[in-house]
Amino acid sequence: MAIIKAEKTPDRSAPVSETSVMGWLHKNLFSSAFNTLLTLFTLYIIYLTASGVYGWGLRDATFAAENRRECYDYSLTGACWAGVIDWLDNIFYGRYPREEIWRINFGGLLLALWMAPLWMGRVKGKVLVGVTVVVFYPFLAGYLFSGGDKGFFMQVMVTGAIVAFAINMANMITGLTKNMGLNAFIIQMLEQGKAPDKTQRNILLLLLAIAFAAAFVWQVNWTVEGVSWTKWGGLFLTLVISGIGIASALPGGIILALGRRSKLPIVRVLSTGFIEVFRSVPLITVLFMATTMFPLFMPEGFVLNKLVQVIIAVILFNACYMAETVRAGLQAIPKGQFEGAHTIGLGYWGTMGLIIMPQALKHMIPNIVGSFIGLLKDTTLVSIIGLFDILGMLRSISKDVPWLGLHKEPLVFGAILFFIICFSMSKYSRHLEVKLSAGHKH
Amino acid sequence: MSDAQTKGQLASAISSEVMIEINQMNKWYGAFHVLKDINLTVHKGERIVICGPSGSGKSTLIRCINALEEHQEGDIIVDGFKLGKNLKNLDHIRTEVGMVFQNFNLFPHLTILENLTLGPVWVRKMNKADAIETAMKYLERVKIPEQADKYPGQLSGGQQQRVAIARSLCMSPKIMLFDEPTSALDPEMIKEVLDVMVDLADTGMTMIVVTHEMGFAKTIADEVVFMDEGDIVERNNPDAFFGNPEHERTQKFLSQIL
Repeated sequence: MAIIKAEKTPDRSAPVSETSVMGWLHKNLFSSAFNTLLTLFTLYIIYLTASGVYGWGLRDATFAAENRRECYDYSLTGACWAGVIDWLDNIFYGRYPREEIWRINFGGLLLALWMAPLWMGRVKGKVLVGVTVVVFYPFLAGYLFSGGDKGFFMQVMVTGAIVAFAINMANMITGLTKNMGLNAFIIQMLEQGKAPDKTQRNILLLLLAIAFAAAFVWQVNWTVEGVSWTKWGGLFLTLVISGIGIASALPGGIILALGRRSKLPIVRVLSTGFIEVFRSVPLITVLFMATTMFPLFMPEGFVLNKLVQVIIAVILFNACYMAETVRAGLQAIPKGQFEGAHTIGLGYWGTMGLIIMPQALKHMIPNIVGSFIGLLKDTTLVSIIGLFDILGMLRSISKDVPWLGLHKEPLVFGAILFFIICFSMSKYSRHLEVKLSAGHKH
Repeated sequence: MSDAQTKGQLASAISSEVMIEINQMNKWYGAFHVLKDINLTVHKGERIVICGPSGSGKSTLIRCINALEEHQEGDIIVDGFKLGKNLKNLDHIRTEVGMVFQNFNLFPHLTILENLTLGPVWVRKMNKADAIETAMKYLERVKIPEQADKYPGQLSGGQQQRVAIARSLCMSPKIMLFDEPTSALDPEMIKEVLDVMVDLADTGMTMIVVTHEMGFAKTIADEVVFMDEGDIVERNNPDAFFGNPEHERTQKFLSQIL
């Protein structure tokens, strides 16, 4: 053999078809006569749809009117958005007293602020933020939304929530400005950095106790007017039901999935039975069971309100679906990971919590978010058992006298609203996946 | 042949203290009899190499020693603790026996340093700063301290296996088990792992190694154990084992691989 090429071949630029827009068009849309025909046909269909939607929804539509008759006077072929606009408050908040709506907005704002540190790279203690939001926020929000008298337990939880929120915010500020956790900041301010760990911990616990006592004293006099759950409705109710469902379905699902894979036969049989029963029944049946049958099994005088029953049903139903998602994720983890954890002496919970779950959850994100989206949409079924969630509200517009028979517009509006929420969730899950897999490629 | 392997047999560090004692142990996978009447005594500081054809039960034997597999009959006593239903004993044995696998089994979602400190911090309840110090010490011993902040997926096979060895050492085990540690590696990476293992043998660690690397076996082994179809067929010092195998199955095996 002789030398084939003595010099290194220099790179040449790629052919035009690989880089230019025209090249791309030619290759993908107009490569043959048939392909060109298909492209033109598809463009025509898209044009028909888009111009129809534009004409109905925007060009000929009425945005301001007193009733449906005025809409027709303006245009016969356009949408009557005036009805939807007139009902916007009802769609979002149901029949919640108008002067109390700030409480719902305030609750939403609290949640957004509480969760904000989770997205901030510099803030420390994210796990604690996540745990406190799940443990304490529901009680604070629950009181904020329903109001009235607080029982002792409720007082303790509300106090806990206030303290946790304040600490969280302070921690966020020290994290953003000083790049350190609140605990480290306090120790530094008190110049106790050299003190032994135990002293530092005692100081922090003392401060926590003082804060708790102060918040407890303050909240005794803080009351908001009671609002019956029957007045809750609209998107607010949908988000309450699905929010609680989402927050509790995942932990519930993890517990059920671990139960199903347990080595203890009774735990395994019970978990499997529970999962299979709930999974093989439609949600609407579970909802009816919860509201009509469940009270029959309870002792006399034991009354749960319908909303609580519905929420319990939604949680159980979705925990069972989530359990199967989690189980699939667990099965994707190779046996070697369990053995690796075994050889460094980790027990069952250590193995699951530190090694298996973090890996499995990452694999499960698309399915988990899929379930969450399903859950959000499924909660509209509660309108069938008489709760005025967003779907219930949208459909009552057509029964309101000025807007009698207005079906299409509210439902289209609802569809757009759901699309925005679900699509953001889906986009966010994609972002999360990319972010989590960036660190360690297999 | 590596430098360490060519320098010849390491000095023996065997003490009279018994580390592992296996008496009349039997194991079945379902109806299949994998291990038959196994008797094996390993002293402190002793280095045993187990070899044999695939399916002979070598891996299963060492997996029984750290309770990854259950045995059905007979006794296994590790560091004075009897393996069995007693969960306390089991916890003790798992922390005192380190194991290195063919496929490394590192935790892919944690950095190298986190892989190494996880056990000391969560199981040994060690202070985090101390755990990191120990981890860096062992990473230096396996010659890859500069990889501490990477993830396992970013390392070569040989590096991953050295991390796996360091991970076990961080738990300061009394016994180290190696289950074909070089079988999944590319040829040019085998040497770096074997060198680390020879260094480890030099420190007087009690080791049981399942391997097909016969040069390595000659260098470090105090005894070579040959297994076939669930039996321990022959046990001898390396010179006698390789120079003058007694059993005909041993002779046949050696003639096939050497």
